[in-house]
Amino acid sequence: MTKVGIPRALLYYQFYPMWRTFFSHLGADVVVSAPTTKSVITTGSSRVVSETCLPVKVFCGHVRSLVGQCDYVFIPSVCSLEKGSHNCSKFMGLPDVIKAVVPNCPPILDPDIDLAKGKRGFYLALYHLSRPFTWNPLKVKAASEAAWQSHLTYRDLMHNQGLVPLQALAQMGLEPEPDFHEPGPATMTIAVIGHPYVLFDEYINHKLIRRLQGMGVRVVTAEMAGEEDLALSLKKLAGRAYWTFEDEIVGAGGHYLERNVDGIISVVAFGCGPDSLMIDLLQRQARKVPTKAYMSLTIDEHTAEAGLVTRLEAYVDMIRRRKNSV
Amino acid sequence: MKVTWPHLGHSDIVLKSLFRDLGVDMVIAPPNNKHSLTLGVKHSPEFVCLPFKLTLGNMIEGLELGGDTIIMAAGSGLCRFGYYAKVQERILRDLGYEFDMVTTALFESKIVGVARLVKRLSGGAPLSKVIAAIRLGLAKLSAMDDIERAVHRVRAIEINKGIATKLFQEAINAIDYASDMSGLKKAKMDYIAQLNDVAVDTKIDPLKVGVMGEFYVVLEPFANMDVEIELGKLGVEVKRSLFVSHWTKFSLFLNAFGVTEKEKTHRAAMPYLKRDVGGDGWESVGEVVLHAHSYNGLVHLSPFTCMPEIIAQNIMPSIKADIPVLTLISDEQMGRAGMLTRLEAFVDLLHRRRSASLAGALG
Repeated sequence: MTKVGIPRALLYYQFYPMWRTFFSHLGADVVVSAPTTKSVITTGSSRVVSETCLPVKVFCGHVRSLVGQCDYVFIPSVCSLEKGSHNCSKFMGLPDVIKAVVPNCPPILDPDIDLAKGKRGFYLALYHLSRPFTWNPLKVKAASEAAWQSHLTYRDLMHNQGLVPLQALAQMGLEPEPDFHEPGPATMTIAVIGHPYVLFDEYINHKLIRRLQGMGVRVVTAEMAGEEDLALSLKKLAGRAYWTFEDEIVGAGGHYLERNVDGIISVVAFGCGPDSLMIDLLQRQARKVPTKAYMSLTIDEHTAEAGLVTRLEAYVDMIRRRKNSV
Repeated sequence: MKVTWPHLGHSDIVLKSLFRDLGVDMVIAPPNNKHSLTLGVKHSPEFVCLPFKLTLGNMIEGLELGGDTIIMAAGSGLCRFGYYAKVQERILRDLGYEFDMVTTALFESKIVGVARLVKRLSGGAPLSKVIAAIRLGLAKLSAMDDIERAVHRVRAIEINKGIATKLFQEAINAIDYASDMSGLKKAKMDYIAQLNDVAVDTKIDPLKVGVMGEFYVVLEPFANMDVEIELGKLGVEVKRSLFVSHWTKFSLFLNAFGVTEKEKTHRAAMPYLKRDVGGDGWESVGEVVLHAHSYNGLVHLSPFTCMPEIIAQNIMPSIKADIPVLTLISDEQMGRAGMLTRLEAFVDLLHRRRSASLAGALG
């Protein structure tokens, strides 16, 4: 059976159930790369120019680990997901960059996903994407509908039942159950803001969420807020969305600034273009709300674990003291 | 109302002429310098690209000098640029400035939008006057660019170094001074003639080096540390396809009719980069393929953390065409000495390559 490889990086955390369902319905076997390790990051960063951001380096390492494991790799070029907003250049040029930097890369399935240009182009892209598997447009239609259904289920698990992506994936039987600490007697609530590929790749963020939970913190993320709430806060804070994933950052940040949380931590990958501006908007807003402690963490492939842990501990201690003194 | 705007190369002259003709008060921030950079860096997010920092510095200086209306381009340029105005406005308000921010989406609104905006700023001047002013402004732009092309050619082979650069400066002043089309035409002819009369060494066959990359750092000499002048001093003829006049011609007029100037460049890039990645990334890849045989080398300019140019940079090594590319990255840490050393080494390498290939051709 034809094997389609999906790198466990970047948009994997948002769309994996959808992609998997789509390819399985077309009769392909889906292979996912193993979780990030040091060697994934090292191989990834050795292939691209040093200025490239960490998530793309990690992505490149994952594709490298899929070489020889599959007949195709699936790397969509996601340009926009709605009218008016655009994605970062790195998502758009991803298939081309991978083709240029990964030697012996299996053929890349690289549909152009540009929903701003209307549905027709999108349907054509889907049909084109399915060509290695089937000629039958009806089969493609059925696969797409099933894929969309599983995406809705996934989103529902997150936004309405308050699961993080890893837990939602486990619930759908696509990943082993993550051994998160039972958020037992939590003493405070902290919102962690960042793109899912930064927050839920435990290797690159040094188990940030798990560490916080271990310190008795209830962690909330963008996924746990309702989608309409995010859109509303985004509109209030920044007007019309310019970036595709602006609601995850500006929207979620604005949302939690108005909710009952004790602090907000934003996690950014070094050199992230969109975040350099979005986080600034959020930071400015956070300054106006002195009751919420705000901390910004920047991660790259050199991040030393001890430094991160020290900052987290100091931050949590500070909030605890503040709560006790009130 | 006093308008002010961030700088981009010589395009100041255009806005100056436009507002002078229409009797709009304006404040011109000092040209980019260390101080404006420091100001910009101080108030910008740390990881944002250099053009953001410099334009923010210009805005602060403009407001300090009494400006109360900022003109800034916006819209979806597919990279951070389109988001600049939103964040810059927030930063300036937080700093306590009071002003109006007038943004114009150049890509979407085309010439009609620009005319409407100018009319509004001028307090409702008659349309005929607005059109005449815009026409003169654009003519000045293209005159400057024509002269600059001549300067590129002369600078490489002039006997007394520095004359072409000095003439260019004078030409810009003369163009700025010109108040009507005939005066402008005269000034342009005059300086082109003067440039043609500069004593040159005709025996030299200068190396041809293309300068390309991100729009702002290519066109703003402060942001690229006068790389073109420095290349000229090293006896290199600079070839550049990016000119403001060229860009306005297409993005304001011709693109509306479906004519794109970059089609050739995009087609050249196709085997390596199949799609637009925003900014000038697609063009950067295309230029390498396109000029592999016509130029001796390419200098690729990019601001630090520029997303489209990082894509281009990653793809360039896989291009089969055999042409050396030197990538120079600009940020607030840049130093002239480092750049000069790299340029000298690069030009040396190009010289050797050329003589080796000539020797090879002769057998």
